[in-house]
Amino acid sequence: MEFRSCFDIIGPVMVGPSSSHTAGVVSIGTFIYEWLRGSPERADIIFYHSFAETYQGHGTEKALLGGLLGMDMADLQVKQAIEIAEQEGVHYTLQFEESCPYYDHPNTVVVRARRKKHVVTAGGVSLGGGLSKIFMLNGEMVDIYLRTSDDISKVAAQYCRDEERAMEGGV
Amino acid sequence: MELSSMNELIEVCTKEKKNIGEVMLKMEEENSAKDKDTIVQLMEKRLKQMEETIRRGQTSTDLASSGISGGDTRKMNNYLKHQQPLSGDYISDAMTFALATSESNAQMGVIVATPTAGAAGVLPGVLFSLQRHAGTSYKDLVMGLFTASALGYVIANRAFVSGAAGGCQAEIGSATAIAAGTIVELKGGTPEQAVHAAAIAMKSLLGLVCDPVAGLVEVPCIKRNVIGTSIAFSSADLALAGIESRIPCDEVIQAMYNIGKDMPSALRETALGGLAATDTGKQVKERLFGQKSSCRVNNKPRDM
Repeated sequence: MEFRSCFDIIGPVMVGPSSSHTAGVVSIGTFIYEWLRGSPERADIIFYHSFAETYQGHGTEKALLGGLLGMDMADLQVKQAIEIAEQEGVHYTLQFEESCPYYDHPNTVVVRARRKKHVVTAGGVSLGGGLSKIFMLNGEMVDIYLRTSDDISKVAAQYCRDEERAMEGGV
Repeated sequence: MELSSMNELIEVCTKEKKNIGEVMLKMEEENSAKDKDTIVQLMEKRLKQMEETIRRGQTSTDLASSGISGGDTRKMNNYLKHQQPLSGDYISDAMTFALATSESNAQMGVIVATPTAGAAGVLPGVLFSLQRHAGTSYKDLVMGLFTASALGYVIANRAFVSGAAGGCQAEIGSATAIAAGTIVELKGGTPEQAVHAAAIAMKSLLGLVCDPVAGLVEVPCIKRNVIGTSIAFSSADLALAGIESRIPCDEVIQAMYNIGKDMPSALRETALGGLAATDTGKQVKERLFGQKSSCRVNNKPRDM
C-alpha cells in the first residue's frame, strides 16, 4: 500500500499547479540544498521526458530552483524563484532530453550543483502526490524517498552521516 | 490497522460503532507515532489553508501565466449577487469555492492537494458550502476531512488518483467520490450510505479522460473541479434518500482501475488527445511553447 496516511490523501499543502510536476520537484531541490548546506552557486539542470515537455506550464523549473534556494513546497516565493535565484547569485543552466538514461520514469531530473568546494550530482524522480525519490547520488544508484511528511533536512543529514561513516570505515 | 476495501471500512465502522472519520482518525493514531490531538491539529491546519485559498481566490482577478484561465470566480460571484442561481445555494456556492481554489492552483497559489493538486477544488468547495448553508461547524468539517481521507485512502490504494495514471476519472472521479461520501457523513448518513454516495459519484465520471490543453492544469481541469461539486451533492442526495448503488463501491473502483489501465496514453495527461488535440487546444500549445529551445541559461531573455 503506497498511501499510508490520511495526510497522503488530504495534503500536501503546496503551491500549485501539480503535485508531481511542482510539489515533488521542490523536495528534490530541497534535498540538494540540504546536501550542500546552502544554495548552490551554480546548477546544471537536465529535465527529461514529461518534465522537458511541460515544465513551463507547471513551473517545474521554478519548483526546482525554489528547492535549491531552501524554500519548501508551500512557499509562495516559489513563484518568483527565477528572479530570486538571480538576486542570490545562483547561476543555472537548463537542458532538455527525451528520456533519462538512468531511471525509467517520465518525471525525472538530474542536477549537478556546486557550492564552494562541494559538488553534488543528484538524480530525482517525482512519483506523484508530492512523493519523490533521489535515485542517483554522485554516480551511485540510491533509494532515498522524500515524503511530504518528512523533514528533508533530517533525511539529507542522515544520508550524509551514513556516507561519511562509510568513507571513514574505508568501505 | 489497514483498510483494504470499502466493505472492510463499513465492517470496522459497524463493529466499533464509529463513523468513517472516527475510524480513520483511530487508524492514523495507530499507524503514526502521533497522538490524537496532534493529528487533529495537523488536519485543522489543512482546513484553514483551504479556507484561506478560497478567501484569496474570491477577490482575485489575476490570470494564470498562460493567459487561458483566471477571473471566472469573480464572474460567478457577480452572477450570484444579482441573480438566483438555477442550481441552488449549496451547489452554486460550492462551485464558486471550487473555482476559486482551482484558479489559485493554476496561478501557483498555495492549495491543499485533495487528493491531488489538479483536483484540489472539489472537496473544499463542498465543505465550505456546507458550513455556510447547513451550519456545519469547523470541528465537524475537520472530521469530514478524516472521512474524505478514509474514502480516498481506499481508492488510492485499490486504483489510482492521478490523471497521468488513470485519466480524469481517477483524479476528479476520486475527488468527487470522496466529497460525496463526506457530505453524506456530515449530514448524518450512515457509513453504508456514504460509501453508496461515493460509488454513485464515481460511476458518473467513469471513462473520463485526462486531456489538458497544453498539458496545463487549467482547461478543462478547473471547470471539471467545479462540476465535480454538483455531482457530489447530487450523489449525496440520492444516497441520503436511501438509494443504493447497484454495483458495490469496491467493484466500481475496480472498474475505474480497469478502464484507466485500458486508456490510451494520449488520453492520460500527455496533452496529445481529446480537448488538447482540438484546433484551439493545439493553437494554445503552439502560442505558449512553440519556440521551445533545447538549452537555456538564466541571464538570457525569457519568452514566457
